[in-house]
Amino acid sequence: MTDSGTRFLDRLSVLVVEDEAIISFLIEDMLGELGASDVRHAGTLAAAMAQLDARLPDIAVLDVNLGGERVYPVAERLEAAGIRFVFTTGYGKSGMDARWAARVVVQKPFNIETMSAALRDVLEVLPSP
Amino acid sequence: MSNPADANGGARSAAVTSLALERIVRSPATLVENLSIGIYTCDRDGLIVQFNRRAAELWGRAPALSDPHIRYCGAFKTIDRDCRAAAPAESVMAQVLASGEPVRDRELILEREDGTRITILANVDPLFDEQGRLVGGVNCFQDISEVVRMRDQMREGRRVVRHVMEALPAAIYTTDADGKLQYFNTAAENLWGFTPKIGEQFWCGSWKILLPDGTLLPHDRCPMAVALKEKRALVGPEAVAERPDGTRVPFMPYPTPLFGSDGELIGGVNMLIDLTEQKRADAQQRGLIDELNHRVKNTLATIQSLAAQTLRGGDGEFEGRLLALSRVHDQLTRNAWEWADLAAIARDTVLPGVANGRVRIEGPSVRLTPRIALAMGMVLHELASNASRHGALSTPAGSVALAWRVDGQILHVDWREEGGPAVAPPTRRGFGTRLVERSVANELGGHPSIAFSAAGVHCTMEIPLPE
Repeated sequence: MTDSGTRFLDRLSVLVVEDEAIISFLIEDMLGELGASDVRHAGTLAAAMAQLDARLPDIAVLDVNLGGERVYPVAERLEAAGIRFVFTTGYGKSGMDARWAARVVVQKPFNIETMSAALRDVLEVLPSP
Repeated sequence: MSNPADANGGARSAAVTSLALERIVRSPATLVENLSIGIYTCDRDGLIVQFNRRAAELWGRAPALSDPHIRYCGAFKTIDRDCRAAAPAESVMAQVLASGEPVRDRELILEREDGTRITILANVDPLFDEQGRLVGGVNCFQDISEVVRMRDQMREGRRVVRHVMEALPAAIYTTDADGKLQYFNTAAENLWGFTPKIGEQFWCGSWKILLPDGTLLPHDRCPMAVALKEKRALVGPEAVAERPDGTRVPFMPYPTPLFGSDGELIGGVNMLIDLTEQKRADAQQRGLIDELNHRVKNTLATIQSLAAQTLRGGDGEFEGRLLALSRVHDQLTRNAWEWADLAAIARDTVLPGVANGRVRIEGPSVRLTPRIALAMGMVLHELASNASRHGALSTPAGSVALAWRVDGQILHVDWREEGGPAVAPPTRRGFGTRLVERSVANELGGHPSIAFSAAGVHCTMEIPLPE
């Protein structure tokens, strides 16, 4: 799993916003397998905003529900900066705000293939042959 | 009438009739005697000097004329509207004889000797002689019992309808055919949040009507207006009443036009069913299902991650981690997924699998939210599991002290291993360390610290608790 097609996140920095520590490990490991070497993590809305203040990532994975808070302000910041992102959620699309429901949403639990396809989708990377 | 013979015959019989009539008309006493209206006359002192047959019928007796014991009225007893027996001196005849003024259309109840009662309408006039001196009075009275009974029945019917409408928990109001507000009950007033003016407001008593999407619906286009204009009953559509204080009440209207016996539109009645409670219950149920789904899906993702972490580490601890997660779930389920006690979590996740008596647990009951409970359960399990494999609990002499306290809104947790083998910081950060740091710092917004010393692992955590 080291060919360039699979490791399409090579040299990209990724921000993972996920409130549950154990799930964040899973996402980080998946991103690592997809080639990302610079993965940063935020567990709360405030921490995510602070990360954005410090440095903008190339792409982001956003859990919708952060311990009761919604991740949407982060999505708005990213969109304004032209940075692509995918949502992850346990609710499915029906639990999303109408404004964001049309975006790429990864339903939990997900495997690396699903996450990879979602990231390729927003990055407009062709699927690996 | 063109036939002269017929005309003559007709004239003859008319003449016969008029002769008989003339006899009656010429004798007023006979005329009065035969009237279907009760008539009697009293002299100045109230003694009855004359009464006709109908009067006797209505009184239920024929009193002796000028009987000094029967004054003003020949009835056995007169009762006023308050069901009080009236003294003869209070009777209408006595009033007229005292004042010399007539009394018109006075309703009275007469009681007969057999106890039956009738309602009469009395008209009393004073009588004067040629010099204008009051000499007596005459009372013309008729039985209006049946009319009064029907009127009372109608009044009672209306009263019952009002009482029923008032007692109903549903908001109800009526309008006339033009939509002008005529009546509303207390439930309607409560739903509207204000008191509209009867006869001034049209179509609906609400302050403001909105469509479910929040756009304004003018009163003359509200469902009641449509029902009256189109002369048909409607169910819905759903609308929202905005009160003067800005609060909103979703409701379902049931406007129904009312028609008279001739089929003409005479008004309308509308019932408004408050949907607030139903909406709240629906939202709560949707919320519960969403929340359950969220938790289940996150739990599955957590299990997936645990499996991945465990397989990579190759330490075969998957089952222990899964059981720890499951035990915290059990604690939360016991309390409707609102809270779990830290003391119970510590016992359930730390003690199983470690030798009895080698972990001292000391701390008060602390109610943790599901998030903090799940994180603390996993962290404590990881610490205990590490201690049994590499730390103080891996040798017979070692022990662990777990203590916590709450200081303001901060939960302080202290895990101290003693008497075990000297531990050095691991070369590669394992799952346990990673979990403690990330759970406490990133997930719970607290401060973790793990020290690896010769005495053993010492881990402290400061965790902010929600208000």
